Amino acid sequence: MNDRLARIALPIVGILAVVALWAFMSTRVPDLPSPMKTWQESKLFIMEPLVKRGEMDQGIGLLAYQSLIRVAKGFLLGALIATPLGFLLGLSKAFNRMFDPVIQVLRPISPLAWLPLGLVVFQKSEPAALFTIALCSMWPTVINTMAGVKAIPQEYWNVAKVLRLTGFQTFTKVLLPATLPHMFTGYRLSLGIAWLVIVASEMLTGTPGIGGFLWQEYNSSIYAHILLCILTIGIVGFLLDRMMGFVEVRLRSI
Amino acid sequence: MAFVEVRNVSKSFPSAKGTRDVLSGIQFSVEEGEFVSIVGGMGAGKSTFMNILSGLLKSDSGTVSIGGEAVTGIHPRASVVFQNYSLLPWFSALENVRLAVGAAYPTWERKQQIDQATRFLETVGLGGALHKRPSQLSGGMRQRVAIARAFATEPEILLMDEPFSALDALTRATLQQELIDLCSKAGRAVTTIMITNNLDEALLLSDRIVPMTRPPRATLGTPIEVRLPRPRTASLLMHDPSAVRIRAEVVERLAEFVHTKKEKAAVVPIKSARVAEERAS
Repeated sequence: MNDRLARIALPIVGILAVVALWAFMSTRVPDLPSPMKTWQESKLFIMEPLVKRGEMDQGIGLLAYQSLIRVAKGFLLGALIATPLGFLLGLSKAFNRMFDPVIQVLRPISPLAWLPLGLVVFQKSEPAALFTIALCSMWPTVINTMAGVKAIPQEYWNVAKVLRLTGFQTFTKVLLPATLPHMFTGYRLSLGIAWLVIVASEMLTGTPGIGGFLWQEYNSSIYAHILLCILTIGIVGFLLDRMMGFVEVRLRSI
Repeated sequence: MAFVEVRNVSKSFPSAKGTRDVLSGIQFSVEEGEFVSIVGGMGAGKSTFMNILSGLLKSDSGTVSIGGEAVTGIHPRASVVFQNYSLLPWFSALENVRLAVGAAYPTWERKQQIDQATRFLETVGLGGALHKRPSQLSGGMRQRVAIARAFATEPEILLMDEPFSALDALTRATLQQELIDLCSKAGRAVTTIMITNNLDEALLLSDRIVPMTRPPRATLGTPIEVRLPRPRTASLLMHDPSAVRIRAEVVERLAEFVHTKKEKAAVVPIKSARVAEERAS
């Protein structure tokens, strides 16, 4: 009983503490809207989440949806490149030696650095945003898939050899199922990064979505909406992670 | 020429201190339909030899041939049973066996493959656990699946690497009996090479026992014929005077062979054999 109470009550206490700190800070910092003011100015966006009033003036649900679609596209593009790359790196020592240094150098590059290059190459903001999301988010998938392939026990390879499985059978019946849990760990981490990158790419390209809206409201000095966006980004990111985590746990239990 | 011919096989592996010679100058032959056990203590030699026989590993020198053909990869009519079951954990028992059947008979229809797999799983008493995953099965049941998988491809040659050593004594005895049944049901005698560290298991199952020394430079001794009538049972081996005598003879020859190689491990089996002999007389 006590344990259950604590499990519900303690997170609420934590949230209230942060809100209290926010309220206190807003009395000291002149331009920081208080929680109450944020709610009053954001009420319309939250209560009518799917209403479109203008290009950027949309319900928060609609804005998040546009961002999610963009993230999904960029993430899928990244996964499409990263998964086979991870398999190749895990299977071939020579390939690994060849590309590992390149990957280690490309991995820490910030989305803010890739985006201008994307704009130069593609000339349009949308493909540049996808390019940036894909390029920044693919590394956890590459690295986890590679680690998953390397971690396959020798006995599974022996089974494949002893049963004289074809290359295709070895891939679908042994390699893929053995690597799947690792791949999904990679996908979960990659999706988290893709969601981080979306805000930066929308801010710089000014495309409609949660990040674009955030930047526009900053420029229009409606600071309450910045907080609305920040909270939305956090909650959506949390839900995405939980969703992928759920799939991952299901796969690991096999 | 015998069905299985091993000539002068040696194998070494690189190690921290240069190279480690695991096998050295192995001579070995098995007639068609024969059941031969290779008995030896712990150490990597036996499994290395098994991997060379099955084609998983290449020897440094010497030749291996099965049915007159040099072994260059996995023999198409060979089945291998591993010590650690080696089932694929993401597949059910049925799928594990069907995968082997499908690989051996790619032209069969799916239904026929499933029927074959089901039949062999039923033979080892797993008709009720067809759709269970390996993680839902006990060690004995897992090894039954592995044995069903080996027999379901109707092999000409069966290679078993300590197939029962991970099992408790009772399960072990049951599975040994099931193996005898499967071998006799196969229609024709399946040539079988089994690696084991258990002498009683070797006596129960084999026509011949071949002793193996430990690495480094492990090698095979002179084969010992097991002149015991079949069918054999564990209790026959314990109580039948001629069986006990043969057991003692085998133990002594093993000990002799191992002692000439300056090994001490054979002391314990000699004692237990003498006790058994005294009890019988």
